[in-house]
Amino acid sequence: MKPLGQTFRQAPFWFAALVVYAFLLGPILAVILASFEAGQAYHFAFPPKNFSFEWYGKIPHRYLHALGVSVLVAGVSAVIATLLGAAAALALVRGRLPATELLQSYFRLPLQIPFVVTGVVFLQFYNHLAIATGIDVLGTVAGLIVAHVFVTIPYSIGTVGSVLIRANPRLEEAARTLGASEAAVFRRVLLPTLRPGLFAGFFYAFIVSFGDVPISIFIASAKMTTLPVEIFSTLQFDFDPAILALSTIVVAFSALLILGAQKFAGFDLVLPSAKQ
Amino acid sequence: MEAHSLSWRRFLWAPLLVTILLLVPPQAVFFWMSLHRQTGTDGLTLDNYARVLTDGFYLGSLWTTVWLSLVATLLALLAGFPTAYILARTRSAWISALIVLLLVSSFVTIVIKVLGLSLVLGRQGVVNELLLALALIDQPLILLNNNIGVVIGLVQYTLPFLVMLLFSVIQTIPGSLEEAAELHGATRLSMFRRVVLPLAMPGLIAGSLIVFNLNMGAFTSAVLLGGGRVLTLPVVIQRKILLDVDYPIAATLATLLVGVVFLINVASALLVRRRAAGA
Repeated sequence: MKPLGQTFRQAPFWFAALVVYAFLLGPILAVILASFEAGQAYHFAFPPKNFSFEWYGKIPHRYLHALGVSVLVAGVSAVIATLLGAAAALALVRGRLPATELLQSYFRLPLQIPFVVTGVVFLQFYNHLAIATGIDVLGTVAGLIVAHVFVTIPYSIGTVGSVLIRANPRLEEAARTLGASEAAVFRRVLLPTLRPGLFAGFFYAFIVSFGDVPISIFIASAKMTTLPVEIFSTLQFDFDPAILALSTIVVAFSALLILGAQKFAGFDLVLPSAKQ
Repeated sequence: MEAHSLSWRRFLWAPLLVTILLLVPPQAVFFWMSLHRQTGTDGLTLDNYARVLTDGFYLGSLWTTVWLSLVATLLALLAGFPTAYILARTRSAWISALIVLLLVSSFVTIVIKVLGLSLVLGRQGVVNELLLALALIDQPLILLNNNIGVVIGLVQYTLPFLVMLLFSVIQTIPGSLEEAAELHGATRLSMFRRVVLPLAMPGLIAGSLIVFNLNMGAFTSAVLLGGGRVLTLPVVIQRKILLDVDYPIAATLATLLVGVVFLINVASALLVRRRAAGA
């Protein structure tokens, strides 16, 4: 044990880590600080020169509407994606299916296609659907949810799958031998085992859907849009400092979500692995 | 046992049907479109592909996308590996807090991070002010609306994922191996080269490919930090749709993008396999 020498030799690594953390957290911190700066647009100082909550009171209604749409879309698509992904994971891990590997790569396809391509593809698909059937889902919550479900299913397949691989099927056998009904085995044995995987899958799906720009931008309309798309257009066209206040609220919300996910699912499921 | 695995198979139907429905018809419509000059008029043609593959503008855009993605991937690896290593090898109460911060960074949407970058990297941004104050530069650097801005945005986008991924890779390498190498007189550098790197290599390659793929498809940071001057394929695709309303060319470019990403992944997988077989 030579803690001091160890620390000394690791100094270059610690320096790299410091730079990485400053780089990753700096911009987020800048947004938070700038949101408390009164009057000044697009600038920030530490500590804020004119500290105020001015912009928090000036968040336009359409941003709040977009926030509502984002939460709704992310919540619903995450629930659907988690259930479908969990079903797929159960079949893939327990079903002893022929061509399991092929099916696994098939289910990962939505993540191999760049999201911007998926966005354009769904835009085109919805256009043709409207012409063919008269059902127009462009610019609707349903249209957003369908596209988001498509790209978020792989996450819960991954998280639920990794929980299942670790789980012991004999526990279920034991419960059956002891006379438990299939429903009871599912509820009492399998579901508690799956729970962290379900939470982690939901968390991933929610966060991916909630932050998405490249898919939503093609499906959203001026009236029905998501928060990231609103922030995107604000940045591209006309800057509004109220967006800083709203972004700060989103950062706080994301941080709470992460703490919650970590509490319910644990680190090892929330962290991505090379296998996924 | 056999009966049970059969009953588990029932669960496959719902997700399989939904994903096929969401994958095949939309992609087919789209691919079909790339084979027509104008929406649904004339017959099948490869004109769009011929046009895209002979037009210097589109080829230039493809080239820009590939090399910016490569640069951003290398930078992310250089910064991410030592960070992941120190996180995986240090036993301290701080580590879990540091990982939560990493998660926060990776799960705050890239639009907000880009908003922050545009605050920080401007002419009068804190980065330029700091460099000027330290007299490292005597004129503000232009870090936005150019290739530099886009690369910074790409690294910002992928780095937290990469660090977390490499963290879990390095955690699987027993620290005792490193101690053993050092006890037998290996220098830190040779220990690193002979023990850590080979063992981390599969993870490093998988991670680099994931990051490279993300970079190739990156949209938000390319549009916003390129300021309309850096035309990567995702940016051009969006313009073709929203500005020119040229769906056939957009579909062709998207197919090209997916194809190039796929080819690069297959090629590197083959390369890795050959090297593994040769070793």
